[in-house]
Amino acid sequence: MGVDDVPLDDKAKRMRDLLSSFYSPDPAMSSSNSSKFASLDAINTTSFDADQYMNLLVQKSNLEGLLQKHVEMAAEIKNLDTDLQMLVYENYNKFISATDTIKRMKNNIVGMEANMEQLLEKIMSVQSRSDGVNTSLFEKREHIEKLHRTRNLLRKVQFIYDLPARLGKCIKSEAYADAVRFYTGAMPIFKAYGDSSFQDCKRASEEAMATIIKNLQGKLFSDTESIQARAEAAVLLKQLDFPVDSLKAKLFEKLEQLLQDLQLKREEVTNFLEDSNDTSKTTSTIDASVHEFAEAIKAYRVIFPDSEKQLIKLSQDLITKHFEITEQNIKEQISVAKFLGFLRVIWRDVLLMDEVLNEAFLPDYSLEAAQRVVKQYVAITFSHLLHDISDALIVNIHMKQKEGVEENPLQVALETSKNAVLKGSMDVLVDLRHLVDDNLGLLLKLRDSIVDWIQEGFQEFFRALDDHFLLLSGRNKSVSQAQGLTEGKVVDKVLAGLVLVLAQLSVFIEQTAVPKITEEIATSFSGSGVRGYENGPAFVPGEICRIFRSAGEKFLHHYITMRTQRVSVLLKKRFKAPNWVKHKEPREVHMFVDLLLQELETIGSEVKQVLSQGVLRKHRRSESNGSTASSRSNPLRDDKMSRTNTQRARSQLLETHLAKLFKQKVEIFTKTEFTQESVVTTIVKLCLKSLQEFVRLQTFNRSGFQQIQLDIQFLRAPLKETVEDEAAIDFLLDEVIVGTSERCLDPIPLEPPILDKLIQAKLAKKREQSAISL
Amino acid sequence: MQGASSGVGYGLKYQARCISDVKADTDHTSFITGTLSLREENEVHLIRLSSGGTELICEGLFSHPNEIWDLSSCPFDQRIFSTVFSTGESYGAAVWQIPELYGQLNSPQLEKIASLDAHSGKINCILWWPSGRNDKLISIDEENLFLWSLDCSKKAAQVQSKESAGMLHYLSGGAWDPHDVNAVAATCESSVQFWDLRTMNKTNSIDCTHVRNVDYDTKKKHILVTAEDESGIHVWDLRMPKVPIKELPGHAHWTWAISCNPEYDGLILSGGTDSTVNLWLASTSTGDGMTSESLVESPTQLVDPLLNSYSDYEDSVYGLAWSSREPWIFASLSYDGRVIVESVKPVLSKK
Repeated sequence: MGVDDVPLDDKAKRMRDLLSSFYSPDPAMSSSNSSKFASLDAINTTSFDADQYMNLLVQKSNLEGLLQKHVEMAAEIKNLDTDLQMLVYENYNKFISATDTIKRMKNNIVGMEANMEQLLEKIMSVQSRSDGVNTSLFEKREHIEKLHRTRNLLRKVQFIYDLPARLGKCIKSEAYADAVRFYTGAMPIFKAYGDSSFQDCKRASEEAMATIIKNLQGKLFSDTESIQARAEAAVLLKQLDFPVDSLKAKLFEKLEQLLQDLQLKREEVTNFLEDSNDTSKTTSTIDASVHEFAEAIKAYRVIFPDSEKQLIKLSQDLITKHFEITEQNIKEQISVAKFLGFLRVIWRDVLLMDEVLNEAFLPDYSLEAAQRVVKQYVAITFSHLLHDISDALIVNIHMKQKEGVEENPLQVALETSKNAVLKGSMDVLVDLRHLVDDNLGLLLKLRDSIVDWIQEGFQEFFRALDDHFLLLSGRNKSVSQAQGLTEGKVVDKVLAGLVLVLAQLSVFIEQTAVPKITEEIATSFSGSGVRGYENGPAFVPGEICRIFRSAGEKFLHHYITMRTQRVSVLLKKRFKAPNWVKHKEPREVHMFVDLLLQELETIGSEVKQVLSQGVLRKHRRSESNGSTASSRSNPLRDDKMSRTNTQRARSQLLETHLAKLFKQKVEIFTKTEFTQESVVTTIVKLCLKSLQEFVRLQTFNRSGFQQIQLDIQFLRAPLKETVEDEAAIDFLLDEVIVGTSERCLDPIPLEPPILDKLIQAKLAKKREQSAISL
Repeated sequence: MQGASSGVGYGLKYQARCISDVKADTDHTSFITGTLSLREENEVHLIRLSSGGTELICEGLFSHPNEIWDLSSCPFDQRIFSTVFSTGESYGAAVWQIPELYGQLNSPQLEKIASLDAHSGKINCILWWPSGRNDKLISIDEENLFLWSLDCSKKAAQVQSKESAGMLHYLSGGAWDPHDVNAVAATCESSVQFWDLRTMNKTNSIDCTHVRNVDYDTKKKHILVTAEDESGIHVWDLRMPKVPIKELPGHAHWTWAISCNPEYDGLILSGGTDSTVNLWLASTSTGDGMTSESLVESPTQLVDPLLNSYSDYEDSVYGLAWSSREPWIFASLSYDGRVIVESVKPVLSKK
């Protein structure tokens, strides 16, 4: 076969391909043909080629394999044969049963036609019967319907005739609702036939209705009736087309009346409140009346549901009036407790009203008003504080000095004003703290704002205080001029002592009051909420401290200036008046020394009252009571002074220069501190410096020089006693003498014994004077 | 604020009070100063700042018969100046000329052009016509105001007009308004008085006490600066004489001398008896005027008007003079006779 295959190959294969492609639409078959060697087992396909299969099988398998294949194949063929046989049998069976069924159907269908006709006949007869019944009963039914209508009509007529009696019964039993229902039911009939058939009936029932209406009105206005009943009455009246609006207006008037009564009562109460602090009783009466008002509103609202606008206005009026009264009260300084009392009453009213009249947004409304009032209250509190402080200052200094009663007016002023500042601020804080801590709903909502206001208030307060201080000190000229002539007089007479007190007070505020207040604020008024963080807290203690520190320094400086100015005037007079070139020989210490010392004494006493003692107190000289030892100038200088005139004059300048070179430069103008010594020292230094400058402007003869020498020598002891920096004073006193000698035509100093004698004489005289005055 | 001592120093032999800028010398920055010594031979020093600005050279040293209380240089002739002097008992005033060939002479004598000898009391100062060549001179003594007409060639001075300040007004100094040559400000005990030279009448006055010195702002009309004993420095606008437009704290003791810079507006120099010279920048351009110093300065006012404080002095500073040639240079004179010339440039550049 294999041999055959080869020559056949070309032609036969093409033929088979063509055939198979024709019979099989599946191109996959042809492709499988092309790969026929690959699919040995493709026995089930349509394109199975038995010869090829055989060829392949023979070629590939050995004998044993072929035999086995043969057996397998034989078994398969047998199986297929049996299957085929079975299928044929089954099909045949089915065919037979189908033929049977068709035969049976043919037989059954024969009797159907006759049955259907019978059925039709019967239905027709039923229909004719029913029509007969219908026609026979028609007449009777119509009659019955007519009778029914008549009966209804009769019943209505009966009702109308009964109406007056029924209404009367209703009036008796006060069943007004029923009466109204009946009447409104009968209304259409009365309208249609009222003028003719039912005239009497109508009249009678209208009469009855009139009484009903009257009763209802009475009910509406009577306060004793329950609100429910009154509301019902109102509704019924409305149903009866009664002009409710006029009623409403009337009732509203009544409400207003009530409100006014309430107001009156409240005013009385507030008056009463001022007289005595017995709030419990008064508030209870107020309470009752407010309750009443709230009830009335509630009733009114129930009765006239569409009347909110008016009511809202009314209630807002009430609140507004409340706040107005409170504002008036605030203007007169009232305590926080009282203020809180007011607020509490208002808030309670508001809550009461709110329950009744939710739409009025009374809490919000009152919140706004409260905001205003509280702010005002805070502001007023601070202005009172300012006023108190300024009073403490002015009264104590101006008044008492005039009276001359007080021993230490400045000290008293300082202490009272210190107290006023600190205690006043603390009181304010404590008071205002009540505002913040109070759990009143109104204030809770405002808490953050209040904290802010208080902080702002303090800030503003201190600024105002500073301005006020300035005004008092007369330092700020433009301000005083802006204040006009009324203030001008006061400013003119500014007392140096006041300035000193202000200086110390500023220091006190900076160092004590502000930290304390800051602390207090931090503990009780922290956490400001409303104010944005970018703005920072409203109260800036640093800034206040800075303001008052600089203010304190400036006031102190101003005090010193004022004092030295006075001394300057004194010195100026001293040096302007005599002709120094023609001065006479010195006989005694000049008067101006007394005046100067007196001035310094005043300063000393003022300073002592106000300022504290310095810590570093130099030890005093033991021999300070003007004895000879201290009054004698140092030997070097004496030595120098006693040289011959011309020679000394020449060498003197050089010598002073040299002395200056070797002497440590004495710091004359050191920073002034807030101590007694420091201030006095500064003033004395400035005065001596002024003295030196005055001396330099004059020309002296010998006697003039000696006079100055004497005066200065006398001053030496008492000045040193008052002053901290003895070296500087010594230096300045020497400078005065040197300056005089430089400006002297003939500088020959007094002999020490004469100097001493004159000083002793002066001291003795002074002692004598003091003895007399004692 | 302590300025490093950058100044150039020059020592006079004796104490001195007054120094003046030699305006007419356009080639050099020079100053003229005179000593105040009661019993010694007094001297007038003509000093010149070396071109490098590092040294003060004595250009001329002339003896002056009496101690000099006031000295001012003639604005149009660098060789002419005026002095007020005192013998100790009496005062005199004169206009002097520096001799031409002074370089060759050993101890050249000053040539007295004119003696202003109409005064009887204590003479305070002599004012030259503010700028340019003019023969007018003003001298002020305690009671009177004299207007002189000076003839340099004839060497004579004549009183043109004279006015008494009135009873109880002791004049102490003055300044000639550079903007209005007919106006002169004279200081007296309790006020600054303004005189009109045409009528010799008082036209106006400012109430302020203890004025030591007064100066007009050379750049700005109506602006006047006063130095007062205790209350520091005030800047006034003459149109509003009630309130000063500015207050400066001045010095720790009296403010003695004041001088406005001839070029830079608002730059004020003050000398005080606390041995310091303060340089202020007080902008006077505030139109609203009423910004008088208050304790609570608004942030804009917080700028310290004090630019610098020169404290390198041993004694009170009485003499101050800006150089008109180099307006950033000033000379100061302390009582111990030390001239210090400083430049304010380093301070200004910092600002």
